Amino acid sequence: MTFRQIAFRNVARSKRKYAAYFVSSAFSVMVFFLCALFIYHPQISGALIYDTAADTMMAAEAIIYAFCSLFMFVSVGSFLQSRKKEFGILLMHGMTKRQLHTMIFLENMIIGTVAILTGTGLGLLLGKLFLMIGASFLGLPSLAFYLSWQAPVLTICSFVLLFLLISLCTFLFAGNDSLMQLFQGQRKEEEEPKVSLPLSLLSLVLLLSGYYLAATATAASVQRIMFPVVAITVLGTYLLYTQLSVAIVKLLRSVRNLYWHRTNIITLSGLSYRWRDNGRMLFMVTIVSAVSFTSVGVFASIHTLSRELNLDYPAAVGYVEKGNAATEASEANLQGIREELEALDLSYELLRIPVKFASVASQTGPDRTLRLPLIAYSDYRLALDKAGFSTDEQTLKGNEGLVMIGSQRDRSLTAERKKVVYTLSQGLPIQEIGYTRHVPIAEYLLPELDGRDGGDFSGVVVSDALFQSIDPVQTDHYTGFYIKDFPETVGIAAGLAENGKRAYESKADYAVVVSGTLFEIQRTLYSTMLFASLLVGTVFFIAAGSFLYYRLYTELDHDRLQYSTLSKMGLTDKELDRIVTIQLSLLFFVPIGLAVLHSLFAFIALQRLFYLSIFTETGAVLICYLAAQGLYFFMIRSRYLRNLKKNLI
Amino acid sequence: MPLLDVHNLSKIYEGKVSTHALNHIRFAVEKGEFVGIMGPSGSGKTTLLNLIAAIDEPTSGQIMINEKDPNTLARQDKALFRRHELGFVFQHFNLLDTLTVEENVVLPLTLAGMRVPEVLRRLEEVAGQLSIGHLLHKRTYEISGGQMQRVAIARAMIHRPALILADEPTGSLDSKSSGEVMDMLAEVNKAEGATVLMVTHDAVAASFCHRVIFIKDGRFFSEMYRGSSRGTFFQGIIDMLSLLGGASHDVSANRI
Repeated sequence: MTFRQIAFRNVARSKRKYAAYFVSSAFSVMVFFLCALFIYHPQISGALIYDTAADTMMAAEAIIYAFCSLFMFVSVGSFLQSRKKEFGILLMHGMTKRQLHTMIFLENMIIGTVAILTGTGLGLLLGKLFLMIGASFLGLPSLAFYLSWQAPVLTICSFVLLFLLISLCTFLFAGNDSLMQLFQGQRKEEEEPKVSLPLSLLSLVLLLSGYYLAATATAASVQRIMFPVVAITVLGTYLLYTQLSVAIVKLLRSVRNLYWHRTNIITLSGLSYRWRDNGRMLFMVTIVSAVSFTSVGVFASIHTLSRELNLDYPAAVGYVEKGNAATEASEANLQGIREELEALDLSYELLRIPVKFASVASQTGPDRTLRLPLIAYSDYRLALDKAGFSTDEQTLKGNEGLVMIGSQRDRSLTAERKKVVYTLSQGLPIQEIGYTRHVPIAEYLLPELDGRDGGDFSGVVVSDALFQSIDPVQTDHYTGFYIKDFPETVGIAAGLAENGKRAYESKADYAVVVSGTLFEIQRTLYSTMLFASLLVGTVFFIAAGSFLYYRLYTELDHDRLQYSTLSKMGLTDKELDRIVTIQLSLLFFVPIGLAVLHSLFAFIALQRLFYLSIFTETGAVLICYLAAQGLYFFMIRSRYLRNLKKNLI
Repeated sequence: MPLLDVHNLSKIYEGKVSTHALNHIRFAVEKGEFVGIMGPSGSGKTTLLNLIAAIDEPTSGQIMINEKDPNTLARQDKALFRRHELGFVFQHFNLLDTLTVEENVVLPLTLAGMRVPEVLRRLEEVAGQLSIGHLLHKRTYEISGGQMQRVAIARAMIHRPALILADEPTGSLDSKSSGEVMDMLAEVNKAEGATVLMVTHDAVAASFCHRVIFIKDGRFFSEMYRGSSRGTFFQGIIDMLSLLGGASHDVSANRI
């Protein structure tokens, strides 16, 4: 038997131990490869519009890679921990430290190489399927199977590098203990878990305050409090597993009438150790699951946002000519749009309204608007009519003004914003009395109110009489092309705006938005994000499953001994099943349940940012995850019970 | 009627080469008796104990405990039978390390669903008897081997089983602890009238019994009653073991 054979056989003969780690690594390699296949597909990398899709996929690659490094590092660390006694025996028989390191290195590289080959191989097999799914997400007719040289090279190189680094890291874990320590490494004394009451309470306080802050967040504060809330929730979760859960079990154990009742004594005592030993692992599973639930949920629901795009873009093509621009150039641009629409055989309705800019002398409130865009109330009603919106807003009187919202998501910001009174340079006051119910002129077409980011309120609607009396510093003209089927306009006016929009703030003489192109870009972006987050979520999910599997596997010997004693003492099969089922289901579903709770509160907070309801989509995502976890639970439970009962009487 | 009646018991392990582990063994144990079973390695002692404990099924023959044959019971009832009628003492103690000493002792009563006040009363009783009262709140890894075995004996007798089965109870102990543990076991047998069946290699341990049954190659070889002097009995056991062959080696190997 050569040295290399020892390493090989060590791996080959403990395949069960490495099974989950291997599956999880190979799966990650496969997903990584598939994403690379997608990124370097000529139909994707060639088309300008799919740039964002490729970028998103690249981000997904980076996340998978970073997560894989963490996952492998933790897994390999715990493998080595469980083999201390074996290393002790080898060292005692004269193996040098150097040889030990070489052996561990070889073993890791064997697993790594096989995982890379399997992952890439599976990726090649499933490549076409994946491209079909990807194409349907992006709404492409189909993507032909194309193997660019970059995809396999990128995958293999990155993962070989990763496995190399991880294998080198093993030197940190192994071989620094003395022989005595190595032999004692295996003997795990089941010490009473220590808990501190203040820390347990702190975890409760942290979690509850995190939830409270998330639930009461407002649109303006969401972004500000996001990081602190995430941080305290993560800390609270950590303390929950390491302190609070042990404290709760301890409390239950002190109630003798409950604890000393039938099998409770075994279930509860086992729980308190399992929980202490696995606290950190369960913590990781919870956080990882919460992140993947939240991201998949958010992207699944953002997807619905784009279906509501016509609310934000009332005109399929909106064009604003700035007042100081040469009218001929503008006329030519508009003529160009008209011709393009006619060439596509799209019938449209046209609306042309003036936008006056009044210079503002002073205003109440913290902000300062220099030039206030104004439109007349009758023009506003006309714009709504053309867009097919109906409203019961009252005619404006006197110096009243309605602030125009630039998009429906601004509605969530209206509560935060103080209504102001403007005094124009010509002496007239304009008082904001409310906000328009619909978007008359899409965002980007007018300068933003208040002169700052955040809201995209784009101007004020005033009564016709007031509008007449305004002495403008500049008059722009808004032209809207209203088309029923706005996605048809994709690609129109590409000469004027390359990505479907040219904002008012740009230096050009005009501003334009093409909702079809915007819709297409947004749809592509969100679909890719959803697709990517589903992939990453699955990688996370499988890795979390692998952690659980490994923990159960390492504890199997200990558990088997315990249950064999118990079964000699007369524990019935039914009781054994019940104990195991309770313990396993807590191990499987508490982290998932907590992750669901975390992400629900995250959704509540995020909902302040997105005006539209997002619960159907996220509900579907969560139910899918729970179903998958349930399936995994039943599989592992039956395997575990079978293994446990193998040498029971 | 004897408490344990082993009647023509045979056990054949099937396999590539089938082994006749037990061959028509028959003996009876009366209520309150303390019986040892000895024999060289491979003589079938452990098989016999496993059959009596209803852990394994005999190929032929019959075992009656308290006029019931556990082998005719269904799996579930067999477990319940072990729970109520039998107590176990193992060579490696097999205490559950997630439980405290106290919890280990009360485990059989808890599994049987007894009320807590009654459990505590019994616990106090056996703890006094086995002088483990000061250990009750310790963890299993905090106490010595001899103490662990005393805890295990407490666990085996707390539910007043019909029969206590001990498998090499002194096998992992030094001679001093062995002596203490055997004293306790003999005391339990005497004071409680508990019936004890013990498999052992250790002639000193065996000398605490009322009677020792010797088996060899799965067959009954002979039996020996204690009489009045333990010293004479011990000498007799040593002589018998050397007659059995290879036994003197056995004895010394187990007396550390």
